[in-house]
Amino acid sequence: MERRCDPVSLEVIRGAIRAAQAEMEALIERTAMSAFIREKKDFYTALFDADGVMAVGSNVPVFGDVCGPVFRDFPAETMKPGDVYWYNDCYGSRGAVSHSNDQVLLAPVFHEGRRVALVMAWAHFADIGGLRPGSISPDATEIFHEGVIIPPTRLSDGGVVNEATLKIFFRNSRWPAACQADLRALLASVGLGATRMAEIAARFGTDVLADALRQLLARTEATIRTKLAETFPVGTHRFTDRIDGDGKGSGPLALRFALTRTPNNRFVFDAEATDDQSPGPVNYLMNPDVPGMALGLFLLGGDPTQVTNAGGPRAIDEVKLREGSLLQPRWPAALGMRGLTMMRMLAALNGLVAAAGGPAPAAHAAYVIMLLRGLAGGKPFLMSDGIGVGYGARPFADGTDAVYFVAQENYPVEFLEAEYPARLLRYGVHEDSGGPGRHRGGCGIVRHYEILAEEAVLAVRIDGVQCPPWGVAGGQSGRPGRAVVNPGTPRERVLAPLSDGNRLVRGDILLIETGGGGGHGHPFDRPAQQVLEDVEGGFVSAEAALHDYGVVIRDGVLDEAATAARRQDRPASKAFHRVAYADVLE
Amino acid sequence: MSSNKPCDLVVAVDIGGTFTDIALQDLATGQSWTAKTPSTPRDPSEAFLTGLRLAVEAAQRDAAKIGRVLHGTTVATNMILEGKAAPAALVTTEGFRHVMEIGRQDIPRAANLFAWVKPKRPVPPSRVLEVPGRIAGDGSELQPLDEEAVRRAAARCRTMGVQAVAVCLLHAYANPDHERHVAAILRAELPPEVAVSASTEVLPVIREYERSLAVVLNAQVMPAVSTYVGRIERRLEEAGIAAPLLLMQSNGGVAGARVIRRAPATTALSGPAAGVVGARAEAAAAGIADVITVDIGGTSADISLIKGGRIGLTQHGHVGGWPLPLPMLDMVTIGAGGGSLARVTDGALTVGPQSAGADPGPACYGRGGERPTTTDAHVVLGHLPPRLLGGRMALDAARAEAAVRIHVAEPLGMSLHDAARGMLTILDHAMVGAMRVVSVERGHDPRDFALVAFGGAGPLHGASLADLLGIRTVVVPRHPGVLCAQGLLAADLGTEFTRSLPRGQATAAAIAAAFGELEEQARAWFAEEAVPEAARVLSPVVLMRYAGQGSELPVPWRGAIATAEYDFAAAHRALYGFDLPEGTPELVTLRLEARGRLPAAPPLRLAPGSGAVPVGRHTLHLREGTCDAPLYERATLGAGDAFDGPAIVMQFDATTLVPPGWHARMHGSGVLLLERAG
Repeated sequence: MERRCDPVSLEVIRGAIRAAQAEMEALIERTAMSAFIREKKDFYTALFDADGVMAVGSNVPVFGDVCGPVFRDFPAETMKPGDVYWYNDCYGSRGAVSHSNDQVLLAPVFHEGRRVALVMAWAHFADIGGLRPGSISPDATEIFHEGVIIPPTRLSDGGVVNEATLKIFFRNSRWPAACQADLRALLASVGLGATRMAEIAARFGTDVLADALRQLLARTEATIRTKLAETFPVGTHRFTDRIDGDGKGSGPLALRFALTRTPNNRFVFDAEATDDQSPGPVNYLMNPDVPGMALGLFLLGGDPTQVTNAGGPRAIDEVKLREGSLLQPRWPAALGMRGLTMMRMLAALNGLVAAAGGPAPAAHAAYVIMLLRGLAGGKPFLMSDGIGVGYGARPFADGTDAVYFVAQENYPVEFLEAEYPARLLRYGVHEDSGGPGRHRGGCGIVRHYEILAEEAVLAVRIDGVQCPPWGVAGGQSGRPGRAVVNPGTPRERVLAPLSDGNRLVRGDILLIETGGGGGHGHPFDRPAQQVLEDVEGGFVSAEAALHDYGVVIRDGVLDEAATAARRQDRPASKAFHRVAYADVLE
Repeated sequence: MSSNKPCDLVVAVDIGGTFTDIALQDLATGQSWTAKTPSTPRDPSEAFLTGLRLAVEAAQRDAAKIGRVLHGTTVATNMILEGKAAPAALVTTEGFRHVMEIGRQDIPRAANLFAWVKPKRPVPPSRVLEVPGRIAGDGSELQPLDEEAVRRAAARCRTMGVQAVAVCLLHAYANPDHERHVAAILRAELPPEVAVSASTEVLPVIREYERSLAVVLNAQVMPAVSTYVGRIERRLEEAGIAAPLLLMQSNGGVAGARVIRRAPATTALSGPAAGVVGARAEAAAAGIADVITVDIGGTSADISLIKGGRIGLTQHGHVGGWPLPLPMLDMVTIGAGGGSLARVTDGALTVGPQSAGADPGPACYGRGGERPTTTDAHVVLGHLPPRLLGGRMALDAARAEAAVRIHVAEPLGMSLHDAARGMLTILDHAMVGAMRVVSVERGHDPRDFALVAFGGAGPLHGASLADLLGIRTVVVPRHPGVLCAQGLLAADLGTEFTRSLPRGQATAAAIAAAFGELEEQARAWFAEEAVPEAARVLSPVVLMRYAGQGSELPVPWRGAIATAEYDFAAAHRALYGFDLPEGTPELVTLRLEARGRLPAAPPLRLAPGSGAVPVGRHTLHLREGTCDAPLYERATLGAGDAFDGPAIVMQFDATTLVPPGWHARMHGSGVLLLERAG
């Protein structure tokens, strides 16, 4: 009979896996070479059971079925110790990877000849070839424009690394040295993870480990099912959210979601009514596991005794997606700018919760990216800067100001100036960008660059300009971002928010402002003292305090009587707000 | 006043939350006396003096013969942890007011993005003041400093009534001129009681957010630390003690009061560092130089590693959730200790991080605590004698059993003893995880190390932790519960001087010149601390990486770049499992570690024993079965006395559990060694 894992061993194994994960991440962070990984920290790790089901993931809700694509070409029973598998093939993995820059390495773990687990290391590589430096560009219209495609491949065969494959890969990068070091870091990381997991298997036994992983999955699934049932009454709940467009003339594009709870407690997620795929690279090839993963993360709400894993997707009984839609594009549509659609998808899932009357956060803005490439001192350079935005306000707190996403960090000013031909003139909070509300939406960021390169070409991605992140429960939508060259001068030019090919020369000033998140609750209910603090801190202007919050501040001093009078005249509100109040967003 | 002058006596004072411990030592004979007095949180210097007088009386010595006073302080730590530091302002470069607010613009990796609330910064953006003036990354001046704007900022600071002002300007690590100038103007314009601190005086390294935080935290604790140090100095004067006051820093070295007043943030880990220095001294007395230390208190456990007698340092430390990149003890703290509460949710058992604290404390204390703590689990299993603190405190076994039974055993359907063992197993594994971080993750095999287990609960866990890691020797210090005071007695003066080299300028000549300048600074420091020539020790270290990497490894500087590159590749392999032969090694930062050796007492020798005799017996519930185990009183054991587990060793400040399969032996230095049999 198989040995069961008792509660004590379960907690110990959970801790040991977390520790192994932390160690794998630390190794990548310290040894990777591209700034994308070591400063911005765009990398993740996860652990799967022997059958490739995610048992311990990260707090990033955008992972799908990572192991399945490998098993299709390399059946699990043919795997052996020392093997490492690799891919970045979006279509070949049904969106487990959703843009080609993300490289996934997987290593099976063995104990006493039995496969007991798989470990993953995942990182965004700065350049893998393609149309433009950085490999992702608003100009791309086919996946082939977005760099080299690696189908599931056995990179290491029993410990022998296939150097020829690597050579081909490195040869396709504009920055092969960084690519090489980053790949070594990932390889070392999965190697380390496999060693640690084998140690855990040896310590507890294969059966106990397998049962522990089973229990972790079952626990997460049960918790999420319970919470889904608490959140969604029987019936169909709908929410529609929009991205501005694809930068090629089509837009706005709608994501139309419906979640049905049947009387016998089946949960069906249906996104088939979503708009068609677009010629531009904003298509998001969404793995069917993602909606469950993301809803699950929201429902777990940061409980430290729970782990994010495939229990989330398992709690959703059916996922309906339509081929040819924005969320299930047909090969070979371009995918590189899918980040903005992905972020909107997360907001729309929260919208489903809000539509059902649940305690969802308002919508967040989609993080902004800029890629600047050109020549400095006669040498080519690539600066891919990710810029934080405002997140949605919550029933219990303001939206988070000026953050990018989970785990991803900024380039410090001092680092950026030392590394790239640009100088920052200003780096701060984007005033008045947070959606007004009892709880204010988070504010975006202002980054003001002076270009020091002889010449450069800029790609920029800003969404939510026409369709800003919505507010809820009386809260208003966030205010949009923009990109402007030489602002306030006769040479001022406002850039298309999703565009490439913008030429800049030495001395040009580039201003990027990012959008804020939606507010929660009526802004006239925000305590005046908090509004005053927002004004003092540069989050809200005195004019907006008066106009949006009904708070009168004169020369930095709160006028309580005038505020009370002003707040008598309270604007009516509705359930949602995007530019204007509405009962249902269309 | 020299801290190295020949003297008879040294005294160490460690102020804890409940008690203040004092250790007085005769440097000629090595004889020492200890005293304990209740702490006086309102004015800790009161207990400082009371305790000191008690110790002097116990020793029947003349207080005037005291040659140095050593102290570990938690004033700065507590202010940072509790967010109670003085209201402060930050002066920064125009355009960068929100650097602190934005931080690294991330939602932490371990956080839930929907639930996470960004912690409030130590200084709100309304108190961040901008001044025009700009230095470039290479140190050149792009725009002169606007002195008028600095004066206006000073005026704003007066209006705001802040007690401290921090200065952090962009690229000051490359050229501190503007920053020094700003600090000088602020000092001239502001009342003398307002503390002013510039980032490059605290930490001249790249990355503006982390440097801003370091200087803000430093400035914020300056007024309180300064007042505190001043009070203690006055108390010493009152007591007729004309000896220098030396305070423990986070790096394990002590420094004079003047240095600490300038950079009090360096005392953020003062308390734990004193314990680790003590652990090193105790292990060294038993002839052991490679140890992992575990200090288990009521709510947390601190773990660190010492290799070849050197305490591991890190530049990536955190205090109270804030990154504090000052060189500090490479210590991992976990929220697990004697007071950690066990709870069962959805059939899962967790232990900590919630703690029963000192009040109500564990159920067995009988002060109203009903939830089971790890201490209760020990009582249930018989690991603790019926009375603690030399018989002064009775333990209520029935309450401990009820708590474990109701809250753990019954919900999980386990036996009482299995439940208690389960709680301890979870705690042990949490600590083992942290011990692996400081050893395995840093490229060390824990089996090559001994374990020093201290803190009130340390010696109960030492042997089981060692078993889990394959460690064969556990060192139980003479006074495991009050090791900090011992550590202070054993500490040397210590500090570091660092200098970053601009990219591509690390030539042999530039390195020599930069180390020359650092030596200059070190000489000035030695002079300030009055360290005689013979006691000065300098260790040059270079921090290296492959070009493009973001994190450096320290390599001892042996005088040649080629040697350093060779050592670096070896260190990279040892730590990460690979090196990059095609990569370009880059020398980024030079560090000069300076030590001023303080005169030490001769080692104490314990009188030979005449065979260990139990003072009683106690029922132990071991995994192997229930047995009647001998109880030993540590004070009755002499050098060479030895016995096999299972056994329990009692002493005033801790209890040692010797499990079956372990052999206990009193070492001549007074430490108790547990050795794995077979």
